[in-house]
Amino acid sequence: MTNKSNNGFNTWQKSFEKETKKNFIDARSETDEGIDIKPVYTKDDLENFSFVENNSLPGQWPYTRGPKASMYTNRPWTIRQYAGFSTAEESNEFYKKNLESGQKGLSVAFDLPTHRGYDSDDDLVMGDVGKAGVAIDTVEDMKILFNSIPLDQMSVSMTMNGAVLPVLASFIVAGEEQGVDRSLLSGTIQNDILKEFMVRNTYIYPPEPSMKIVADIIEFTSKEMPKFNSISISGYHMQEAGADNVLELAYTLADGMEYVRAAMSKGLDVDDFAPRLSFFFAIGTDFFMEIAKLRAARTLWAKIMKDFGAKNERSLILRTHCQTSGVSLTEKDPYNNIIRTSYEALSAILGGTQSLHTNSFDEAIALPTDESARIARNTQLILQNETGVTKTVDPLAGSYFVENLTEELSKKAWDIITEIEELGGMTKAVKAGIPKLKIEESATKKQAKVDSGSRVVVGVNKYKNPKEPSVDVRVIDNNRVRDDQIKKIQAIKESRDTTAVEKALANLTNAAKDETNLLAPCIEAIKLRATVGEVSKALEQVYGRHFAKSLSVSGVYGKHFEGDQEFMKVENKIKEFENLNGRRPRVLVVKMGQDGHDRGAKIVATSFADMGFDVDMGPLFQSPRDVAKDAIENDVHAIGVSTLAAGHKTLVPELMKGLKEIDPKSKIIVFVGGIIPEQDYEFLYENNVSAIFGPGSNIIESAEKVIDLITDNLSKV
Amino acid sequence: MDLIDNILKGERAAIAKAITLVESSKYSDQQISRQMISELIKKPGKSIRVGFSGPPGVGKSTFIESFGSYLVSQNYKLGILAIDPSSQITGGSILGDKTRMVEISKNPNTFIRSTPSRGSLGGISMGTREASIILDAAGYDFIFIETVGVGQSEIVASNLVDIFTLIVGPGSGDELQGIKKGITEYADIFIVNKNDGELKIEASKTAADYKSALSYYKKLDELEKQVLLVSAIEQTGMEDVIKTINQIIDQNKLKGIFEERRANQLEYWIEEEVKNIIASDITKRLSSKGNISKYSEKVMKNEMSMFEAVETITKDTLK
Repeated sequence: MTNKSNNGFNTWQKSFEKETKKNFIDARSETDEGIDIKPVYTKDDLENFSFVENNSLPGQWPYTRGPKASMYTNRPWTIRQYAGFSTAEESNEFYKKNLESGQKGLSVAFDLPTHRGYDSDDDLVMGDVGKAGVAIDTVEDMKILFNSIPLDQMSVSMTMNGAVLPVLASFIVAGEEQGVDRSLLSGTIQNDILKEFMVRNTYIYPPEPSMKIVADIIEFTSKEMPKFNSISISGYHMQEAGADNVLELAYTLADGMEYVRAAMSKGLDVDDFAPRLSFFFAIGTDFFMEIAKLRAARTLWAKIMKDFGAKNERSLILRTHCQTSGVSLTEKDPYNNIIRTSYEALSAILGGTQSLHTNSFDEAIALPTDESARIARNTQLILQNETGVTKTVDPLAGSYFVENLTEELSKKAWDIITEIEELGGMTKAVKAGIPKLKIEESATKKQAKVDSGSRVVVGVNKYKNPKEPSVDVRVIDNNRVRDDQIKKIQAIKESRDTTAVEKALANLTNAAKDETNLLAPCIEAIKLRATVGEVSKALEQVYGRHFAKSLSVSGVYGKHFEGDQEFMKVENKIKEFENLNGRRPRVLVVKMGQDGHDRGAKIVATSFADMGFDVDMGPLFQSPRDVAKDAIENDVHAIGVSTLAAGHKTLVPELMKGLKEIDPKSKIIVFVGGIIPEQDYEFLYENNVSAIFGPGSNIIESAEKVIDLITDNLSKV
Repeated sequence: MDLIDNILKGERAAIAKAITLVESSKYSDQQISRQMISELIKKPGKSIRVGFSGPPGVGKSTFIESFGSYLVSQNYKLGILAIDPSSQITGGSILGDKTRMVEISKNPNTFIRSTPSRGSLGGISMGTREASIILDAAGYDFIFIETVGVGQSEIVASNLVDIFTLIVGPGSGDELQGIKKGITEYADIFIVNKNDGELKIEASKTAADYKSALSYYKKLDELEKQVLLVSAIEQTGMEDVIKTINQIIDQNKLKGIFEERRANQLEYWIEEEVKNIIASDITKRLSSKGNISKYSEKVMKNEMSMFEAVETITKDTLK
């Protein structure tokens, strides 16, 4: 606490309390992370640090101030925009355009079937092909993706975790067939499977074999691909799923520790691979917190790696990519997103990121258009060229507030890391479902703050725009993409040497049984034109497919609304409904297809239950038919479909068909929530969807609408 | 009733609607439901009703997914009534059981219904018995009733089924103190789950502990209680479970125990139904007269003794 004998401070405190009519202690505000932010910080707040060292310098232990001595004064951060559009051809065009306009590295987004190891012609992925990224079925698609892009000169970042083996193998083979040796390939593969089990759910195999695959890739790249980053340990998706910054920081570093152990278990020396570990964090709207997070991450990682016995200085240094927060973007008044993204970008830079993706303002609704992508990129170009932020390294060092916040975050994160370690590490914690549950609890709290108005989101719960602008979004013809991919797969299957492919796949299955490194046999199979799906299945024979148990929090949302009029109104409507109908209104909340982002579904489930609904939670990756069977057997009143990956145009009509097939007189109503472009609204209503709730919808208002719709529907004979 | 015909035809939507009726707290629904059940009970199917209970975290749903998959692969039709423990006292429930029964829920030969327990005694919800009659009439070979094992629930649940199984985890031998006599009378099979990986040794040890404890409590004329080792995730031991179930059912039928159990259960059920009707009638009368508070005030003011007040109210209500 502040030195009481300090006269100057006492005078300040008196003036403060006079001006604000508040006690100094009460004037503190609590962050999502549970840190009390004081209205003023002084020199005294730089004392008693256990992690941050006050006189450290950039590029020196404990690297709080940055991984390099010169930082942006020598070379600014890399502008690296993540993108992927349905087909390899379109993506290739997009990359070439971006490279011409000043972008230095490229970043590939894959579609969900590729992530989950399914080919485009698999019935399970009907609605998902080409959605949210590019479909890669064979090495031929990978070759088209990098057509006229010299892979020995371009650093390529690939967001891939589930199907890492066939995708990395395809990248290597595509390089070779371009005439580039694998040792010259540079870039990063995300390869961070642990966070998939926590938040994004694009895993294929259970945690243990998945960790073995991660270790295989680290081993292979450390020996054969010296310029390639074997893993990008990602907190990004945790924050996107609602984790606060302490959870994001702690879980990411704990994941990192688990990967280090996995690689060391292969007999590698820590310094053989640690310099090629990279990180990926989200940057949200809490300006100073995000800066402190990056500084704390470097500080803690240096300590962690020293404890692992790293001797090479480069092993101690955390290098990171950052992306501005997607979840902070709003569908309402979308141009506000340009402003949000700009401030987030500034946070990332003041925190000392090595590369950055800035989101396009329309990403709350769809994949970016050329125009919105240009604005997003220019946000960074302006920061680099006009603002002067590149001229001084770590300009916020020595700030009483920022240094103190860095220390606070480090302490809190360290406590969580210690807890995870005591559980036996992240693989065990993930299997027990603990991190997932903590993140969902944090997400539900955040949502409740917005819905109750205690957190202001401009244009959403305050300062609403009376004239909502309409925005053009990119439209994808999913069926056309799927048909084209299927044709390509057929052509390849006809022209390849089937016996050789089968033999290569059998070799791969055997390698999985023998626990030898899987990448080399994968490369062989891919070279012979085995598909991503076939390779994944060859491994599935040994490992099986993973199905996650789903745990749910309850009571977290409702707690924020004790005595709230709107909340009570819905509660009362539900009680009235129960008295009249002999049971509570019952809603099935589902995700369909391969989209594993279940934050929205989980928040809706827990908050609806808190209001009094009986909520059935469907498993992930259901087909519309599975959902229909489930809904009818449980005689629910309504189905809530959560969609974030644009599969709704195929999947919702299928669901309607499925319901009618089982019960021609079905009166179950369907509502849809998530990322749905306005252009799709009419289509969905024509398919008898009863209500649509876009991003930023107030959950209490949505619940009220649902109970009203159910009541209306029952009164119709 | 159309509904009855459609249930007998095995129509999914009809079965679902019928279960909603038997679970309903609405008076008119209850009337229809009683008539419907009276009809259905005349047309019994061939189902064997199996109860599964056990403490939270032992992998009940995962076991049922695994065992259920085995049964459907043998062409059995399987109905599952899952009593979801996750209900809150205020607010509604989150019914997440299906997230642990992914594979069997897709199978056309299954019918899976989750019901919030609503904190009712023993985790058995209103209508579970009736729901099993509906599934029986609809032609399901096995009906699983899954409950969370807390306190009294095993006893209530065992009263609904032909065979009752308790699922436990490795290392649960310590809890033997707690199960003692009561549970051995109700459970027919003990399944030790998680017989896999690092837990294998522990699981075998637990099974041995159960066996020795159970032999200690065994009555002379009773069948030996079975202790089985399974792994739900590795899908091992499933044949043993079905073999054991069939064995016990066959033996019980031979000895007349099967029929005797069902007769006792019917008797118990009729008694419960009568009690429920009387109780709800009395509750209604008490609240319509609303004179309890009047008498309690008198007791407070010493104008009347507690005993006199109870006597008077009782007489008045039963008039």
